[in-house]
Formats: sequence, C-alpha cells, structure tokens
Amino acid sequence: MADETTESTLDRRKFLTVLGVTGGGAAVLSGCSTDKVQKLIPYLVQSEDQVPGVATFYASTCTECPAGCGVHVRTREGRAVKLEGNPDHPVNAGTLCARGQAALQGLYNPGRVRTPLARQADGSFKAISWDDAIALLGGKLAAAQGKVAVVTGTGRGTFSDLLASWTRALGGKLVRYEPFDFEPVRAANRQVFGLDQIPAHDFAKAQYIVSFGADFLETWLSPTEYQRGFAAAHGYHDGHMARHVSFAPRLSLTAMNADRHFTVRPGSEAAVALAMAGVILAERSGAPSDASGLKAVLAAWTPEKAAEASGLSADGIRRIAREFASASPSLAVAGGVGSQHRGAVQLCAAVNILNYVAGNVGQTVLFGADLQAGDGYAVLAQLADGMAGGQYAVAIVHEANPAYATPRSLDFAGKFSKVPFKVALAVFANDTTRFCDLVLPIHHALERWDDLRPRNGVASLMQPVMQPVFDSQAAGDVVLKVSQKAGGPLAAFNAPSWEAYLRQAWAAFAKQQGSADADGFWRAALARGGVFTPVAPVSVRLAAGAAPSGWQAPALDGTEGAGSFVLSAYPTSMLYDGRGANRPWLREMSDPVTKITWHSWVEIHPDVAARMDVQDGEILMVTSPHGSIEAPALVYAGIHPDLVAIPLGLGHATLNDARGSAGINALDLLGSQPSDGFLPYTGTRVTLATTGRFHQLARTEGTPRQLGRGLSDALTLDQARKGMTPALAAAEGGGHPEEEVNTEREVQALEGWRERQQQKTQLGAYAEDHPRWGMAVDLSRCTGCSACVAACYAENNIPTVGEAEILRGREMTWIRIERYWEGGEEQGEPLEARFLPMMCQQCANAPCEPVCPVYAAYHTADGLNGQVYNRCVGTRYCSNNCPYKVRYFNWFAYNRTAFPEPLNLQLNPDVTVRARGVMEKCTFCVQRIRGAQNTARLEDRPLADGDVITACAQACPSGAIAFGNVKDDASRINTVARDSRGYHVFEDLNVRPSVTYLARVLDPVEA
Amino acid sequence: MPTRKVPGVLASFVHIDAACDAIRSLQGKGRRDFTVYSAAPNHEIEEALGITNSPVRLFTLFGGLIGCAAGFGMTIWMSRDWPLLVGGKPIAPIPPYVVMAFELTVLIGAFSTVAGMMFLAMRDGTPGLAYDPAFSDDRIGIFVPAGADQAGTLAELLRSAGATEVRHDA
Amino acid sequence: MAATVHHAQTHADVTRDVVATLGTPGRGYNLMLAAAVSAFLIGAGTFVMLLKDGLGLAGYSPPVMWSVYITTFVFWVGIGHAGTLISAILFLFRSPWRTAVYRATEAMTVFAVMTAGLFPIIHIGRQWFFYWLLPYPNSRWLWPNFKSPLIWDVFAISTYLTVSTTFLVVGLVPDVGAARDKMTGWRKQVYSMFAFGWKGTQHQWRHYTRAYLYLAALATPLVLSVHSVVSWDFAMSIVPGWHGTIFAPYFVAGAIYSGVGMVLTLLIPLRKALKLEHMITEYHFDNLCKLTLLTGSILFYAYAMEYFVAWYSGNTFEQTTFWRRAFGPQWWAGWTMIICNAFVSQLFWFRKVRTNLTALFVISIFINIGMWFERWVIIASSMANDFDPWAWQVPVPTWADWGILLGSFGWFGMYFLLFARTFPVVAIQEIKEMIPMPRKGGAH
Repeated sequence: MADETTESTLDRRKFLTVLGVTGGGAAVLSGCSTDKVQKLIPYLVQSEDQVPGVATFYASTCTECPAGCGVHVRTREGRAVKLEGNPDHPVNAGTLCARGQAALQGLYNPGRVRTPLARQADGSFKAISWDDAIALLGGKLAAAQGKVAVVTGTGRGTFSDLLASWTRALGGKLVRYEPFDFEPVRAANRQVFGLDQIPAHDFAKAQYIVSFGADFLETWLSPTEYQRGFAAAHGYHDGHMARHVSFAPRLSLTAMNADRHFTVRPGSEAAVALAMAGVILAERSGAPSDASGLKAVLAAWTPEKAAEASGLSADGIRRIAREFASASPSLAVAGGVGSQHRGAVQLCAAVNILNYVAGNVGQTVLFGADLQAGDGYAVLAQLADGMAGGQYAVAIVHEANPAYATPRSLDFAGKFSKVPFKVALAVFANDTTRFCDLVLPIHHALERWDDLRPRNGVASLMQPVMQPVFDSQAAGDVVLKVSQKAGGPLAAFNAPSWEAYLRQAWAAFAKQQGSADADGFWRAALARGGVFTPVAPVSVRLAAGAAPSGWQAPALDGTEGAGSFVLSAYPTSMLYDGRGANRPWLREMSDPVTKITWHSWVEIHPDVAARMDVQDGEILMVTSPHGSIEAPALVYAGIHPDLVAIPLGLGHATLNDARGSAGINALDLLGSQPSDGFLPYTGTRVTLATTGRFHQLARTEGTPRQLGRGLSDALTLDQARKGMTPALAAAEGGGHPEEEVNTEREVQALEGWRERQQQKTQLGAYAEDHPRWGMAVDLSRCTGCSACVAACYAENNIPTVGEAEILRGREMTWIRIERYWEGGEEQGEPLEARFLPMMCQQCANAPCEPVCPVYAAYHTADGLNGQVYNRCVGTRYCSNNCPYKVRYFNWFAYNRTAFPEPLNLQLNPDVTVRARGVMEKCTFCVQRIRGAQNTARLEDRPLADGDVITACAQACPSGAIAFGNVKDDASRINTVARDSRGYHVFEDLNVRPSVTYLARVLDPVEA
Repeated sequence: MPTRKVPGVLASFVHIDAACDAIRSLQGKGRRDFTVYSAAPNHEIEEALGITNSPVRLFTLFGGLIGCAAGFGMTIWMSRDWPLLVGGKPIAPIPPYVVMAFELTVLIGAFSTVAGMMFLAMRDGTPGLAYDPAFSDDRIGIFVPAGADQAGTLAELLRSAGATEVRHDA
Repeated sequence: MAATVHHAQTHADVTRDVVATLGTPGRGYNLMLAAAVSAFLIGAGTFVMLLKDGLGLAGYSPPVMWSVYITTFVFWVGIGHAGTLISAILFLFRSPWRTAVYRATEAMTVFAVMTAGLFPIIHIGRQWFFYWLLPYPNSRWLWPNFKSPLIWDVFAISTYLTVSTTFLVVGLVPDVGAARDKMTGWRKQVYSMFAFGWKGTQHQWRHYTRAYLYLAALATPLVLSVHSVVSWDFAMSIVPGWHGTIFAPYFVAGAIYSGVGMVLTLLIPLRKALKLEHMITEYHFDNLCKLTLLTGSILFYAYAMEYFVAWYSGNTFEQTTFWRRAFGPQWWAGWTMIICNAFVSQLFWFRKVRTNLTALFVISIFINIGMWFERWVIIASSMANDFDPWAWQVPVPTWADWGILLGSFGWFGMYFLLFARTFPVVAIQEIKEMIPMPRKGGAH
C-alpha cells in the first residue's frame, strides 16, 4: 500500500543515478525506518561510504530558525543520529545551538504526518494515496482560476523562488511567513538609511556592546553566530574584555550576560538610545559629517529626559554614552521580539543613529548581507482578511503554522476556514493542518534536496541523509507533480523531479559563480555544505527622513488604570516561535533564565507578588481586552514592576508532548492590529487576578544562591589582570584566607603519604602508562545557553522524564547549567546571574567509587570514573557520596517512555540505553575517546591533541569548553586549565576533580 | 530402630543434698559410670561429681582463628585477583578488611562452638538410658547401669541416701 | 537475687506456668496475629509494585537517594541490639535480673534483624540482583568491593542474624526438653524433635553451660560492632551530617535505647497476655528503665556534640546542615527526634515513672517514634542539603514508603507472636537455677 508506492519508484537505475550523485543516496539502500523494517535489503554491493559501525557525515543546513546554520549530520547505518555544526559554515562555524540539536527530534517526531490525508464529508481525515492526493490538488488548482493563496514558512532559497514564480504563474498570492519577522529592524533601516535590509553584526569586533532588548543570545536574528562573536569579544582574553550593557524591562538570558543590566520602564529604551546619541554627538568629534544635521533634534533629548522616561540616572546614561563612544568600534543592538512594542521602529531607528554617530556602521554593523526574514505580520493579516472576504478558492500552507502563531483575536483559523479548499504541505500535524481539507506529508529538511540563502553570500545546501521516515515527499516534487496535473499556466513547471530542478538552478548558479564544471561545483558545494562568498559591505549614509520625530511612550492597547500591567510576550531560547513544543529535549531542558521545564508561567515582580500576596506556582488569571489565560506565577526580581512577562511557544492544540502540560499561548492576549507591519508582542495592558489554585513549578533549580560556597567564582577585571586566583581574590574580599589546617607534626606525618598511597595502586592495568582526560570550562565565555546540554542528550541517549518526575527533581541531565543569583536583595542592588555547567568532575580521588559494593563505579586506567551499567544494582550510595550531585538514577524504565517510536531511531548506537534501576552519569563521551583511540591505532599513530572532543565542547557556540589529555604538556587543555583564573569546585574536599573552571570576569559598571 | 535399653537402677530425688549423698556413696563404691539428670545446672551436683571445665572452648578458639584468617585471606586475595582502583585508595588496604575478618571470626567461632558442644555431648553420653519426665521438672535423677544381680544392693544404697523413688528396669 | 523471682515458687511452678503459655491461644491473640499478617500482606503487595514499576514509586527526590527504607532498616537493626545486650552482655556480667526477660528480648532481636535484613534488598534499584553483593564465584570471577561499607554491612548483618539465632536456639534446647516432658500427643513429637535429645545429664550440662558462655562471649562484641558498621554506612561518606567520628558509639547507644524501648513495648502487654506478672516484675522494668536512661543520656550528649562540632569546625557545609536540621524545611522531624529521645528519656530519673507500667508503655511508644525519626533526620534531612545548593530537594514519602514500613511491622509482629505461643518466652532452666532446691528437713 502506502510504502509500496515509494518502493516502486525506486527502480535500480534511479537508485544508481542517486548513488552516482552523492553518498546521500546510499541512505536509500541502508536506510531503516519503522514502517520499512520488513523490506531491509542486505548489502549486495557494499557502498563505499556505508561501513556498518562507522559513522558517515553529510553536510546540510539547519531550518529551525531563519539564521540558517550549517550542520554535519552524523548517520549510522543510514540513520541520522546526531547533528553537529559545520566548521566550514560562515554562520555557525562548527557549533550548534540547542534548537538546532533538537531538529533530530523533529525528524523522528511521532507527531509527523505519516501519509496524505483527505478530509471526509463527516469532517474526519482519511489516508489516501499520493496519486489521488496529487490529482485532487491538481484538479482544485486548475479550477481555482488563480484565486490561490500560498503561505510558506520556508526560508529564502530555490524552493521559495520556485514557489514565487509558480504562484505568479497561477496569478495567486504568496506570503513568506516567519512569526519573528524582525520587521522593526528592517523598517528602521528603511527610515534611517533608506535601505530595506537587515545588516550583519560583528560582535567579535565590538569593544563595547549595548543591547536595548535585543536578545541576541536567544532568538534575535542569528543567535548562534552572535553568541560566538559575543564570547570572543566579551570573554576575558589576555587582559581584555568588551563591556556589555543592557537596557531592557526584563532580565533576559542576554541581559544576564551583561556586565550591567538596567531595568528600564517598558517602551522607554528609545529615549535612552537617543539621549546617548545626543551626548556623543554633542561632546565628541569624529561622527560622520552628515550626522551633524541631527544635532538640533537630538539636543532636545537630554539624558535628564531619558532618565525621567526610563527611571535611570542621567549621569549614568551620560557616562555609558561616553564609554560607548570612546570604545571604538562599539555596537548597539535593538529590535528583539520580546521588546517589540509600538515604538519598536523608533527604538531601532534611534539605535541606528546611535551606531551611526558612534561610527559603528560599516565597522560592526555591516549592510549588504541582508539577513533573511519573513514578509511580516501585516501581510499575513491582510491575506487572512482576503480569505475571509472570499478572495481565494484554494489556500496552501507550507511548513508554517499561522493558526497558532498569530493572535487569537486575528481569528486566522476562522478566516482560513472560509476558503473552500485548504491544503497543508506539512511535516507535523499542527494547529493549522487541523483546518485543512488536504494534508500532504512533506520531507523533513534532513530527508530532502534543498538549499537556503539565509543571507547574501551564503548558499547553503541540504541533502537527504537517510530514507524518509514516513511516506512523505519533497515539497518541490509535490509542486512539480501538481503542476503537471493542473496543466494550464503551470504546465511550464515540468522538471523530471525536484532534485533535477534544484540541479538546474545550481548549474545556473555555478555559471554565475564563473565555474565551468557544474557537476564539480555541485559536488564541492555538497561536500562543503554550500557555497560561501564574502559580501562587499554596502556603505550607507543617513537618509532624508532619518531625523527622529522625537520620542513619546509607545501606545498600548487596553485601558490604563489601577492594577494594570504591560504584557510582554517573549520567545524563549528553547521553544522559539513554538516549533520546539513537540521536541521532548527542548521541553525538558530548563529555560536558561527561569529554569522551568515543560509548562508555561507568568513572570511578576516581587513587589507585585507581595502586594497581591501571590507565591510561586499560584495560578494567575491574566486578562487583556482580547482574551485571558491562566498560568502559574513565577515571582521574578528580574522584571520591571510595571511588566508582566509570559513566554511564547506553548498552548498548542495538537503540537505537544503528553508528558508535560499543554501550557498556554500568550498570543491569546494580544490584539490583532499590526503596528508598522509587525505584531507588537509588547504593548497590551493586562490585569492580574488570583485563582487560589496552584500548579507547582517544574523547576530544575534547588536553591538559587551560592551561600558563599564558591561554586561559580568571579573576579573583577583588575583582579584578573593582576593574575589573581579566585582563592586570593576571596581572601582579599574578606573571605577566608588560604591557611594550613594541619599542625607541623601532622604535616610531617603526611609527608609523602599520597605517593605511598599511589604506589599501592600500581597494579594490573593501572601500572601502565595511560592518558588522563581533563576538561576546562571558561565561565567568562559561558552564557548559559544550554547548547551543551542538548548535545549531551543527543550524544548519550539521555531520556527525558516528563513534568511529573521533574517535580521530584529526577531529571537526567548529565550536564546541567546551574544558574545562581547574586545580589538583588537590597533595593537598588543589581540582580546578577552566575552560570556553572556542572557535569561529572571525573575526580582522581572519586568519593563515588569506593562506596560501590559491586565495583560498578570504578576508576579506569585513563582516569575516568567508569560506571558499569550492567553491574550496577542501584544502591545509589555513589550519588549520596558525590559532592557535585552529577549522578542520575533510573527510578523508572525511562528508556521505555522517553523514546516513543520513531524517536528511538535517533538513539546513538555507540551508547548503551540505560535500563531501570541503574545509576548513570557523564562519561566524558568515553565512546568518542575510544573511537578516536581506535582510529589512531588503525592509522598507527599516537593520539593527537584535539582528536577527542566531547559533545558538549563541540556544540558550545561560545567555545567555553576545552577537553584533552592533561598528561600531554602541549595540549590545549593544559594551556587553558593553567590560567590563573582556574579553580576546582569544592577543592577542599581533596577529591581532585579533572574539571577546571576559569572564574568569570566582571567589569562592573556604575549606574 | 530404637536403641537397645541399658538395664540399670533409676532413682529419683526431691532433695538436692540427698542426691549429692547418693552420688558420693556411689563414688565410694567405685562407680563412675552412672548418669545424673537435673532440670538445671547445679553446683552442688557438679562438685559432688567433680566436674571439670569442658574442652568446648578449644573449638571456639580454633574456629575463631580460622574465621579471622579466612576473613583477611578472602578479602586480600579477591582484591588482588582482579585489581580495580577506587577512590585513589590502595588496591588491597588492610584497615577496611578488618571488618570482614572480625565478622568471620565471630561467625565461624560460633559455629564451631556449637559443633563442639554437640560432638562432646554425644561422645560422653550413652544412648538408651532410662529417663523420667519429672527430671526436667523438679526432680533429680540418678541412673546406675546394673544387671539384675547388683540391682538390689544399688537400690538399697540409693534409697538410704534419700531417693524418693527407685526402680529397676531391665 | 531474692527479688528476681517471686518467693513462693518451686521448680514445679516454674515449669507449669511457663509451659502453660504454650496452650491454645485466645481470641485477642488471634486478632493480633491477623492484624500482623494483613499488615505484612500490604507490605508484600507494595513490594510487588516496586518490582513491577520501579523504585520511583517511593518518595525519593534526588539528592535524597536514601529515605524511608534505609531509615527503617537502621531502625530495625537498632531494635535488635537490646536483645543481645540483655541476653549476652548481662549474662557475662552475671546480672540476675536479665533471666526472666532475656528469652523474649532475644527472640525480638532475631526477628528484628530478620526484618532489617529485608530492607537492603527492597531499597536497591534492581532487587533481583541483590546477591551480587555476596562474594560468590560468578562467570566473570568479579568479586565485591570490600572497601564499600555496604559490603561490611552484608557481613555484619548476616553474621549478627546467624549468631543471634544460634544463641537463641541453643538457649531454648533445655526448655524445649522440659516442655516436651509436659506434652502429650503430636505436640510431644514436635518438641522432642526440637529438644535434640536433651535429657539434662551431667555431661550435657557440662558442655552446654560452657558452650553457652562462649556463645555469649562471641555475641557480646557483635552488640557493639554491628551498629558501628551500620553507622559507618554513613560515617564513611563525605556527606555533611554523616561524616562524623562520633557516629559508632552514638549509633550503638541509640540502638540499645531504641531496643529497650521496643522491649518495653512488647513485654508490658506480653506478661499480661501470658499471665507472667509474677515472673516479669516491676524489678525488671525498673532495671530496663535505668538502661534506657543511660543510653538516652548518651544520645542527649551525642546530639549536643553534633551541633557543637558543626559550630566549632567552622565548616560551612556542616553548619548549614545542622542549621537546617533545626530550622529548615524538616525542622519538625529534627525536633521530634530530640524531644522523644533526649528529653523523654530523662523522665526515668523518677522512680514513680519507672514503676508505672502505663507511663512506661506510652513512653516506650515515644521512644520508638523518636528513634525512627532520628534515623530519618540523619539520613534524609542531611542528604536534602549537602554540598551543591542547586541540587537541594525535600523528600516527600509516598504510599510506597508507608506500605513497606507497615509491612515490616507486620512481618516482625507475625514472627514474634508465633514464637511467643510456640516456645517458652521465659527461660525455665535459668530461673530454676536461681531457685534453691529443697533439702532434707525442708530447710532452704
């Protein structure tokens, strides 16, 4: 039946042509997926790039957000098991964020559409064959006479071009829809520079970074790239680090990584930016000549006014303005989704001017790249009205979920339903497919040929890395086949296949790139992951209408009055626009800021909580003129008292994971009115009401204070420059100085004791010479983004346990990001965050080992704390005795519940899936260590530094984690770990951990 | 199969001193082979019989020593048999193994003590002697193995010592 | 010596009264037995659920990896110690008052340790592999880790169970003999079997008395060692609140304290039910109370010392642990332990209290509760806040915890009740040993 069709299309000749093109086709041979197991074909002809037990890597492109990072897909036996960053790719340079890692759980998601579905008379869906589906759609299109609306969520690329010309041929309307369209940035650039573009930002080059609510470490434009740049600039390196100041109403992850975060009144950021620009322009020469025209306007925007508007001190604004200007090049950014209020364009314009007068444009703000973004909310809203108005006979939604991602007040679903025939080309059954008459399962990005142009100069390729998991087809093939069926104007689209079409397009591209050999060009591009060419920066000048009209507080809808708050619906770095909601990893990995998993919450300020007598977890009813939602309260000192913040991304009708609460969709509270073409995510007034009901917060946080235990240490810039160790600094800061606790005689008695003990351990394998593995984590680079956690989940088959178990503190994160709060207790004292990635410290004197009665926990010859799952009986004594609490116990058969088919296909065959009742923990990716050692042995060479890299170190966009053999004196790990900032957590316990932390460096900024 | 009954005279006493007199006079007659029953250990009887310390303590001693050796031997050998390093401690440290040595000392010591007791009691005792349930209650019993010929005189002796009841069963 | 047994008693009375307790049980007894059995069945059912679904059913929240099960394990091991103390140590000290009560307490020991022995198996993640802790030659010739306190535990507990059982059985032999001689019919057959051919000849007595003495001598160090080893399960770790040199004596004192508490709880109703008031008298309870007072005061000292050391050490981890023990989220448990153990035991300074059986019974219940909470506090509340604050959690026991706890009482009660009806709960021959035998002319 269903899979018969795919099988029959796969005749030998086609197979060979595929194989001829790339190893990607080989996946067809060896690929396994749930519904084809009975059709496994043995290796008759061993394909050269499919060796059982050996991983094959394919270059591809991540489609989890518009940034378009390059990935390497690790496949085993024709099955994708891990996503890793593509080192050649200009966007992410070998790293990958948590969302990117989780793309695999999209590929293998049980919620995927498995076969074409057609709506029946009774409203139910019925599985139909592809031929029928194509025929049905073709017929409808032929009959539609161009009254066709197309919404696509796919990025800029050959397919979107095809779709564009296709829709044009039809005479229909196409909308490229990204919920986070960053329209304000684009609009502001139009206004200030007369350039309809989104520039690239060079954080690495910046000496001073000011963020006006642009969460560039979370969801803003190209987070992974920016995090890399930020770490390079802001991470302490030979005596230097860039400053980072943040002005925003809410302490986001980005703001938590600032040297100083100022909580400003919602909507007043623009005033501060203008004031800063004014100060710079008034006091400093060297601003571009054409900026002088602004003097007059900006003079009106004194720091005093800004201070009044924002609630900051005028002197502070002045000082920061001067610092910003003197530290050249600097960089100011704005326009994050969370701070998109009705004044967002003004804000971005003000920031553009600030950058311009500080001479950053062309230095750190680089026009010409033009980062891709969607068409903007207004266009979609317009389309929806058209649908309601009966302008369309057929509506096609491709890889988008507008019914979820638009405010309920827009009633997209209702308007959409008015279209006679609605088609979804969807990977997942989501809130939009529910309303469709025909649902066509299309290939996931990892199953199809495709390309993406996230910005000028980056043409990134995708290739099928394995046999499709379900009976899906490439959207391109669907379009081409339908065109043939529909005929008429569409008859022109007659490529033999989508792949052929793509190859044609690339042949043209090759010519354009001046390459004669199209095939060679294509192969090289495939191998490299795409074609990456430098872009000449476009120099810009101020446009005519650049001068700001002046600032006034952005308008809010809803009635002002007692007990009314400004709502900020902000995206989290895990769920983004909601497409993460069906990825168990992203649901269980706690939000980096609040450390909440699985459910929605409402952030309110402690003063408000005190006033309303609300505690954490008490369910609040939030009401706006457009609707109301109920969610548990999180009392959070990091937001402005006037603000109520609710994360986006949950509250789906279908897209979900049953082991967590469905949550709520903050968009239900927003008005549908666009502002300057975008949706104001901040800009609605809401009121709060207590319900008296509770929903315990599923947090991974125990106690968020360090209690002076020196877990996540920090030094001031001066101390770091003096080369002080954290211990010394603590002593200076009035802490306990280092002192010898033993008496003279005791010291003598201890003389050589450790050596004698060592002697008694030299037996069997321990007598031989082995490497000793070590890790170093630079806390001045770590931003707490949790990419390492995702990588660890993927690499080590870590089960997700679900909300109920999280409430008992039973999460299994082998590596966790501990987020401690500092300060924020007295009035005016800033609330600061400290991050500490905590994984097994692989202690030399490991307390966990000797207490195990059965040697399940033991010391390997190369210095790891081995954990033999098969031997473990589960006394859990090792965990009791672990001061770092990094051992995790399988209380239930998590391995049975965490990987519902086909998610189990993602499991890494190199790593045991742990059974119920055994203890597990970080292994320093021992499978990778052994793999590298075997390769070295096969190539008959010693293991070189860098041969082994753990999943966490590999993924880290900040490059905060170093790993290697500490016995090799030249190794990178040694150079890093010997930094004066290096320290061990709980050093006094004499467990001698193998993980060295480099203290964070603080560059305090006075207000 | 039932053990063959030993013919003899069985006397039963209420009074302790009477029983002791009987014992002494029997010893005066050069008898050593008689058996005394009592419901509880009694010093007067022991003195009269001149009971010496039981050699059972030797069993205890050697049992204990064997246990101690076994304890150290097992732990040290097993640790070295498959050397596994834990917590940077020596492969076969002595201090923790004292615990196993101690426990086995007590365990095997106790076993051999009980075994010794059983062995010795069986060695000294003779099966098939006449017995009366009252002996486990409040009577003291003396059984003297004797053929029909001596029975009369023995019965007389015991009765004169103060036996409340004497019977001869062949 | 005179006070130890009632004057107007002869050997015959002793045999008669004690053997009388072996008669057909009354209604009250049957009800209690039924209750015990059903409690045990609840526990068994819970265990089946644990086997089926996993330990997650119990109220563990990491970092609290041990909670109700290990607490109850230590509780029951502790109970045992009083029995051996009374039967072995007091025997060596020739302390006459033990005679009437030691049989019952010794039986309590055996059954308490039998109960405790279940818990290490119940609490592990893969119960079906518990035997991997034993040094048996397996296919890989991999031996257990003798450096682990848990292996010491295996040896200590199994030795303790075996030796105390042996001690009990050996002590029983002459009495079973006596019982046999009073029985008729099938009962006689059964008792004859367990009498091992006991006749009370001078040879048997000669070796028996010696052997018993040496067994007592061997059992004596166990009283001190077993709970020391159990305490090292904790003291050998580095967990703040566990890692204390005071632990061994502290635990032994606690064990005896709790044991005597349980002895009181059991004996007070038992002597009534079995009509042994004239054998187990005020005098015995008075002495038991003094023992409780002593050990209770040692505990008082230990508690005070723990807090002092935490403060004096200047170690922030210790300090936090003990601060939270008194004022943290589980403050109520901490205070239950201190009040029930340190303070309640001080009531025994007053003779009035020591001789008022009702008061004694109530207090003994407090002692049991207090000692259970002592272990809970040491284990769960210490682990709930150790080195890494990020991991801190407060455990909340679930039905699975309470089910097993209840079951353990059922299991223990079941055995104890059966024993009390099947074997002489008062040592016949030792009491007789203390009653002078009649002499000619009736002079005592």
